[in-house]
Amino acid sequence: MLSYVVRRLLFLPVVLIGITVLIFALISTLGPWARVATFVPSPDAERHVDLEAMIRKYHLDDPPLKMYARWVNNLLHGNLGWSQSSHMTVMEAIEKRFPATLELTLFAVVPVIIGGILLGVISAVYHNKPVDHATRIVAITLWSMPDFVLGLAVLMVGYGVLGWFPPGRLSAWAELEVLKESFRAFTGMYTIDALLNLRFDIFWDALRHIIAPVITLACLWWAFMLRITRSSMLDVLNQDYVRTARAKGLAEKVVIRKHALGNALIPVTTVAGNMLLGLLGGVMIVETVFNYPGLGLLTSTAATRLDVPCVVGVAVFYAIILVAVNLVVDVLYSVIDPRVRLE
Amino acid sequence: MEIFRRLLKNRISLFGLILLLVFILIALAAPWLAPPKEGSDPYRIPRRGWTLEPTPPSAQYPLGLTQGQYDIYYGIIWGTRTAFRVGMIVIFFRALIGIILGSIAAYYGGILDEILMRFTDIFMSFPYLIGVVVFVSIFGPGLNNVMIPLIALGWMPYARMIRGNILAIKQEEYVLAAKTIGVSDLKIITRHILPNAIFPVLIQASMQIGSIVITVSGLSFLGLGAPEGYADWGQMLSFARNWMLGEQGNVLKYWFTVVYPGLAMVLFVLSWNLIGDAFRDIMDPRLQA
Repeated sequence: MLSYVVRRLLFLPVVLIGITVLIFALISTLGPWARVATFVPSPDAERHVDLEAMIRKYHLDDPPLKMYARWVNNLLHGNLGWSQSSHMTVMEAIEKRFPATLELTLFAVVPVIIGGILLGVISAVYHNKPVDHATRIVAITLWSMPDFVLGLAVLMVGYGVLGWFPPGRLSAWAELEVLKESFRAFTGMYTIDALLNLRFDIFWDALRHIIAPVITLACLWWAFMLRITRSSMLDVLNQDYVRTARAKGLAEKVVIRKHALGNALIPVTTVAGNMLLGLLGGVMIVETVFNYPGLGLLTSTAATRLDVPCVVGVAVFYAIILVAVNLVVDVLYSVIDPRVRLE
Repeated sequence: MEIFRRLLKNRISLFGLILLLVFILIALAAPWLAPPKEGSDPYRIPRRGWTLEPTPPSAQYPLGLTQGQYDIYYGIIWGTRTAFRVGMIVIFFRALIGIILGSIAAYYGGILDEILMRFTDIFMSFPYLIGVVVFVSIFGPGLNNVMIPLIALGWMPYARMIRGNILAIKQEEYVLAAKTIGVSDLKIITRHILPNAIFPVLIQASMQIGSIVITVSGLSFLGLGAPEGYADWGQMLSFARNWMLGEQGNVLKYWFTVVYPGLAMVLFVLSWNLIGDAFRDIMDPRLQA
């Protein structure tokens, strides 16, 4: 067990170095002037200075290895450069936008996991029966929906026709309330902060805004979860020990709940971890459709305006989260399933 | 052929195959279904006017005109070609890179295998979509600049799969026999090993075409992929964004800007996923019972 975790931990820096080298190699193809922006901490420092001086100041004509070391050093000190598209440092932009995306993701994960597992199990237990076919067709149709098509449809119906779910994150009045001194920001996630501040009107407003993007994200990933649970459950139901349990005369309910389900859910853990990451990454389009100001919208806006420092900053940030979550999932996996450790 | 027969027998995958066939026919017949103007680039959607506001479907333009009077019918027909082309190019190069690296790793083994597989792990832990966005923000938007990072960040599963398959057959007697009589490594890999290991990988890869089309269209939708006016479904839907809320009292006024390109995309992806889903069940021996 311990040796497995240690081995995984040892690989961690290798992955991080690999990812940063890849990103750095891409940045290096830019001209020195464009590259200056990824080093400069504020726009004033960038203006009024001539190219030669800047290149000398930030040593942009150094050999690549030295430049890479300096860039990583900057990253480690939280200096990700200046984002032109959001008029603040990249670090500030990420700090401001990340809670919004996290809130969206957390809201979406709950219905996906509960609904996906439940229907996946039902679908497997009634393999090739009408229920199985019906859920499968619905799931496959949802899975074939491009996120922006589904998002546009939800927005058209939910806001255009029904007027229930407005785009954005808060209404204008709530936006002002949140900025007031009396409203304490605990997490940056408005629904939770509103509850902690006992401001139920703001909570309701935030909820109305978040529901439509959550529905969109959840529909897409629910289908995926269902598929994985179904095939893993089908696999387990064909195993010898399940047949033995049935042969002993146990009730079908007991066989499924006590004997099959536990093992069937093992691969689902990995998928759940991957899904969390996929959700974090996939929010780019959904946030753009609903004009929801999270990391995804930040990234897509920055990319269309060719704001390289911002995009690179977010990429590094994601990469770190990705590696951390992968590590946690792997370790959890080895705790749940002892067979993994023996590899 | 056995697989093909089973695909035809299953009603769901039969529907998928028919859908796909329809799209293939549309792509092939595009020059007749929507004849481009003589001498102009067929992938540029013709404009039937210069006002911004979309025009509803009429006898002359059956699916209507979207923002900037781009012909929706024309865009959908030629967009089918774009979808196939993008999907097939990305899949081809992903599979090619995956197969080359995977076979080298598996055939030679040892330290080379270790290095190549750790290399694969690093690429695996790269945030996929974000990687594409980084690439585009550095090299500028465009279909090619979307496809390149999609290939570079997408070959890893195939490398792993082909490696696993080759490891399983590497010790077979016919491979050892070829080695003992002095056949060159390249010839052993291409003539004896790959034909027996490549098939499942190719199938898996081609089933990904649907999801690649979703990704590329999504990026076009964000304005990072195909340029304005290019026959691409995602690009056409990005026009729709400004109009989908209609106007006061008539919210669904511009429904055709969303529904037609959206429908084309969903059906295209659905056809691949229906076939892929049936394939998975056929290929999985545990579900044969």
